[in-house]
Amino acid sequence: MNNLYKINRGEWFRLLQVLLVSSYNIFAPVRKNGGIDYTIVNTESYDDIRYNEAKPVTPLKLFFLPVKLNVIKTEKTSKKTIIIGAPSCDVEGLKLLDLIYLNEKFVDKTYFLKREKTLIITTDCYMVQEHCHCTTYGINPYSEKGCDISLSSTLNNIYLTSWSKKKDVFIKKLISSGQIEATSSNESEVISEQRRRTIKYLDEKNEKLPGTVKTGEKIKEPYYEIWKKYPSNCVSCGACSAICPVCTCFIFIDKPGFEKMKQLDICQYPPFERITGGEDPLKELIMELV
Amino acid sequence: MATDNIYKVLKAAVEEVIDESPLIKTFVLTPEVPFKFSTGEFIELTLDGLGEAPFTPSSSPYITDKMEVTIMKTGYVTEKFHKLKRGEILGIRGPFGRGYPVEKFFGKEILILSGGCGLAPIRSLLFALERIKDKLKKVTLCYGSKTPTECIYKSLFSRLNKIEKFETYRTVDKYEPGWDESVGVVTTLLDRIQLNIENSVAVVCGPPIMMNFSTVRLLEKGFKDDQIYLSMEKNMSCGVGKCGHCMMGEFFVCKDGPVFTYGQIKHIPDLWK
Repeated sequence: MNNLYKINRGEWFRLLQVLLVSSYNIFAPVRKNGGIDYTIVNTESYDDIRYNEAKPVTPLKLFFLPVKLNVIKTEKTSKKTIIIGAPSCDVEGLKLLDLIYLNEKFVDKTYFLKREKTLIITTDCYMVQEHCHCTTYGINPYSEKGCDISLSSTLNNIYLTSWSKKKDVFIKKLISSGQIEATSSNESEVISEQRRRTIKYLDEKNEKLPGTVKTGEKIKEPYYEIWKKYPSNCVSCGACSAICPVCTCFIFIDKPGFEKMKQLDICQYPPFERITGGEDPLKELIMELV
Repeated sequence: MATDNIYKVLKAAVEEVIDESPLIKTFVLTPEVPFKFSTGEFIELTLDGLGEAPFTPSSSPYITDKMEVTIMKTGYVTEKFHKLKRGEILGIRGPFGRGYPVEKFFGKEILILSGGCGLAPIRSLLFALERIKDKLKKVTLCYGSKTPTECIYKSLFSRLNKIEKFETYRTVDKYEPGWDESVGVVTTLLDRIQLNIENSVAVVCGPPIMMNFSTVRLLEKGFKDDQIYLSMEKNMSCGVGKCGHCMMGEFFVCKDGPVFTYGQIKHIPDLWK
């Protein structure tokens, strides 16, 4: 584990209020409509932030790939952004999006700028939801590489581990506050033990689920029996793709002045691949799923 | 591409509109700066505020100050294109994808099967092949349209027949008075053509059903999977393999195609749907 810093909860709240809200847009998960989702943190809501709970309804991707975006007019973002409470599974999804939008052959400038201006603070998942199954795909319920800072919360303290170069300014701000300190190995062990417990719980809960290799094999068999099951009651609402951390397909909507709005599109919508000649490779729902 | 934002268009003026058939028009465009492309690559053509659609230029890749795009009226956007008049401004994005690997055709006999508006990308290829004819053995074009009226580029065939090493054949599905060439689908022309198949490549471009049957017939004649080049038509939108609309198996047609060998894509289920 990298350097682990500790800050008293009360001081953490004060820091969020005084140091950070003024210089950053901070998003963090709060309780909403029976679940949790991100909200913009202001001086009155920092106390409502939920730590170590899985997982916000809004996928992390929407911070970087908004549902609608004008790709011709460059966005002028003034403030930097901090996202607190991103779950590890979403961060893994973001790594895949980075491969799509920030590879050696193509860099999406808007995505790049948003990634550069955003500090991602993940939280360990100590509570899991009914369908959580990260460990089945070889992902831990806590994040290391891929995030900027990982956060674990206990009753009295907030523990922060830094993982990226981007975290420097943030950590410096915390250090300069004089309220942050290195932790003992005993405290590290407490966090490690909590992580082990979550992994064990997830492994036992999802014992019968296929892992990445088996899932990959099934995807290669488009008419595999299992793929017939899901289209039978799919109504092409697109919700699955909207909350998926990696679904990123889009459509252009042209606006006057040769402007283009890039809008999230979803292969579950019937005409997704249809060409004007009428051919449609995804005409059958089963093909949309695989 | 004249701009570093791939989503930003290069403006082009419509210089001339040529009626090719009742449903097909060719638009001669003058881009605001010279526009380079390789034969078989495609562009996205934008109607301001209305939409864009992918087309492969039908003009010579050696001409950069003008470009011709042949468009069939099939839907909302193409219908709007057909209403364009001289002087109106369009947007061009691209070029995108991988075109015809003409350097692989050196020393070979080239059999081209084309149907309907699929002759548009092929015309560009023919201009490119004409430029390098000394390096080729033979170029045979077989073209099919529904009726003689719907046959496009009518003057192209007589011009090509005058070029050394080039020969053309035409057929129509339905006879009309005055037609003195073949009647039948384009694959029926293959029986009339003498080729050294081992030293040949076949290029197919047209509607999916025509490409499907042409590929089957070429395989029956002895062409190998990698000797058949197909120009795939999918719903290409972004042009750089990000939007997902043209995904075909593990390929994005906009980025990895639109030209593929049959060997590359034959394993893809429902290839012709």
